[in-house]
Amino acid sequence: MLVYTVKRLGLSVAIILVATAVLFVMVFAIPGDPVSVALGPRASPSVVEAFRERMGLDQPLPIQMLRFYGNLLTGNLGHDVLSGRSVATMVLEQLPYSLTLIAGAMVWSVALGVPLGCYAAMRRGSAVDSIVGVLSVGTIAIPSFVVAIYLLLIFAIGLGWLPAIGAGRSGEFGDQLVHLILPSLAVGLGWVGYLARMVRSTMLEVMGESHIRMAHAFGLPPRLVIFKYALRIAILPTLTLLGLGIGQMLSGTVFAEIVFARPGVGQLVYDAVSVRNYPVVTGAVLVTTAFYVLATLAADLLVASLDPRIRTSLRQ
Amino acid sequence: MTRLSLTRRGLMAATGTVGVASLLAPRFALSQEGSRLIARSYSDLQVLDPAFRLSAPEGDIMECIYTRLVHRVPGDSWEWELDGAESINQIDDTHIEFALRPGIMFTNGFGEMTADDVKFSYERVADPAMESPYADDWAVLDHVEVTGKYTGVIILKEPFVPLWTTTLPTPTSCILSRAAVESVGGRFEAVPPATAGPYNLTSWEPRQMTVLTVNPDWTGRVPDYEEIHILPIEDERTAELGLEAGDLDYTWVAVSSIKRLEEAPPEGTKLVRKPSLAYVWLGMNVEHPPFDDQRVRRAVQHAIDVPLVLDAAYFGAADPATGIIAPGLVGHRDANLYGYDPDRARELLAEAGFADGFDCTIDILNKQERLGVAQAVQALLAEVGIRVTIQQRDSGTFWTLGSEEAGEAWRDIQLLVQRFSMEPDPSWATAWFTPDQIGVWNWERFNSEEFGELHRQGLVEQDTEARDGIYKRMQDLMEESGAYVFLTHESVGVLHRDGVEPALWPNGTPQFTDFKKA
Repeated sequence: MLVYTVKRLGLSVAIILVATAVLFVMVFAIPGDPVSVALGPRASPSVVEAFRERMGLDQPLPIQMLRFYGNLLTGNLGHDVLSGRSVATMVLEQLPYSLTLIAGAMVWSVALGVPLGCYAAMRRGSAVDSIVGVLSVGTIAIPSFVVAIYLLLIFAIGLGWLPAIGAGRSGEFGDQLVHLILPSLAVGLGWVGYLARMVRSTMLEVMGESHIRMAHAFGLPPRLVIFKYALRIAILPTLTLLGLGIGQMLSGTVFAEIVFARPGVGQLVYDAVSVRNYPVVTGAVLVTTAFYVLATLAADLLVASLDPRIRTSLRQ
Repeated sequence: MTRLSLTRRGLMAATGTVGVASLLAPRFALSQEGSRLIARSYSDLQVLDPAFRLSAPEGDIMECIYTRLVHRVPGDSWEWELDGAESINQIDDTHIEFALRPGIMFTNGFGEMTADDVKFSYERVADPAMESPYADDWAVLDHVEVTGKYTGVIILKEPFVPLWTTTLPTPTSCILSRAAVESVGGRFEAVPPATAGPYNLTSWEPRQMTVLTVNPDWTGRVPDYEEIHILPIEDERTAELGLEAGDLDYTWVAVSSIKRLEEAPPEGTKLVRKPSLAYVWLGMNVEHPPFDDQRVRRAVQHAIDVPLVLDAAYFGAADPATGIIAPGLVGHRDANLYGYDPDRARELLAEAGFADGFDCTIDILNKQERLGVAQAVQALLAEVGIRVTIQQRDSGTFWTLGSEEAGEAWRDIQLLVQRFSMEPDPSWATAWFTPDQIGVWNWERFNSEEFGELHRQGLVEQDTEARDGIYKRMQDLMEESGAYVFLTHESVGVLHRDGVEPALWPNGTPQFTDFKKA
């Protein structure tokens, strides 16, 4: 298990480095100049040149990349071209908003997707199963920004039940929670469908296994068999899916952040790309890539520790 | 007596109901708060150092937390009144005498504002070593002479007419505490070491909210609102929905939404429409064939039906422009030189050897209004045989297209739709079209020595009538070159709740310190 963990960690670091390098090249490949945005139209050419030199933007791409990785070793992600603030600080300020949004989306997807999947599996072939199937595909197919706009129009504008914009005031948990409901539902709704489909199919597979049939034969209550024995096994592939889902949601949050005017890493990266703010783009994507890779790794390790079959194969 | 029975399910339902109700409570409390103004800005603050500010919303905040000698007055004309100054007088063309109002205190224990702070603040912006992008605002400053604790004289190297309209009343001339700024090494970013204005900067949550609270030590006019919450919301439509949902008290709206909101504003809100100073035009690169032929450029000028373009792009919320200088400013023209005449356009194209038309491109920023303009232009030019391909660009790409320093893209520009904003002095409009701006912001590469000379004259000419003539002539030169079709100055729409009485400059810019509860 230890060797497996170390190997996966090494692979994760390599993925992060390669992803960042690819992004670095991509960002520089598109035309645009952050200095003209930072200084505005009235800056004299000498001021522009001095600024470019000070930010290291006059250096060739490989030098800038090496400097970035060099700084990374000391935990320095560089400085925002526009404000001069530390990129690490900026990302860490925004990350909690995105993580909260993802956590909220996860709660929606697990709270709705897992029971729906179980229920559909228990009623296989029934009308309920068909309805859950249609709804699942429907939620997967509808883009999250469309969901976001409709949620906003219905619950914030039409009914006036929930706030339309913002993330709630700092230190006021209730206010922040209310502001989280619609955006997290918009991000999580698609994953309700994914989880319901996944749980249904794995449950059906598990329900056919001999130890579950044995439990039924012994006369154990169906609810106990499903939740204590079947679901524990069926949930394992779902954990892997959730690990991938965190990364997917992180990139999906940008729509919810724009539609609901919430702060967050997605919005930060979007704005930074618009003005070619290279240090913020690379720094923020580095952090989100690391987060994605670590979430996937954590899910794999969790599955490995929970599934005796994987534990055994690793020992061998 | 009835016995109260409570099941486990009932308890859970009751708890859930109470929980949800308690979560919703802050929302209702928020809308009942009387002395808090919740306003939207289109971007978050990043720098509150007046010498290095990045956007207009930062200027709006600076209006609240700093003092200038004079500041603008909300209303329909561009006027100023005393702010930190007790008196201010232009002694001659190059000397301005001022006396500060005693008792203006800086926060964080940095003491009272003095004439030395004025000297420090102005000379700091002008100092080439500071590399301020706003150095041009004070380019003619020789020095500020301190004559007493509160008195001094601003001494200019030469006369500078825009000083009273676009330098002294703007954020560039905010007065900082010398001691405070020097204590942080001479520069600062989002958190000022000290402020002195009607409001204090209470908190800043990046990309979430800026909170301003009324300054208890402020000796000037006391603002109506105790707190101002400024929410950075880039997308206008999101902000419109936010106001409709009751989360905002004030926002700018998209130009294309103005007509709709004017006719049917959401319940409990009002729309205010103001003329904008911005100018939008269709430009032609005079060095790129076939637009290097003046007959082709003139043909395009005659082929564009400007009112039709504006109806298509702005849905009736924008009036045609007669130049780059907006109505109400010195130098505004009454009419254009070349109007819509498609037959004449076809004749000119035939004369130039393009009787069958030609293919070309039009570059635009990926904004809805700009796309509307481009599509209307595309349709109108098709009528005379010119086949246009629209190239939409994101802001990072678009704003460097014509820059020679940013690459070779400037060579490929043929047609473009551009929009610039400006301060209320005509020199701000003409500054970008001089010969030395070719390859910088003069993307049409319009090259007129006379234009450049007139621009220099306009900066020092103090006779208003003569100045008016200078700027009118400059716009004539632009139009005669054939490189420009002036489209509109757009308009600004401001949506606010009934309970708010906004204070706006003539171009719709908010002055939050003067907002009142209606």
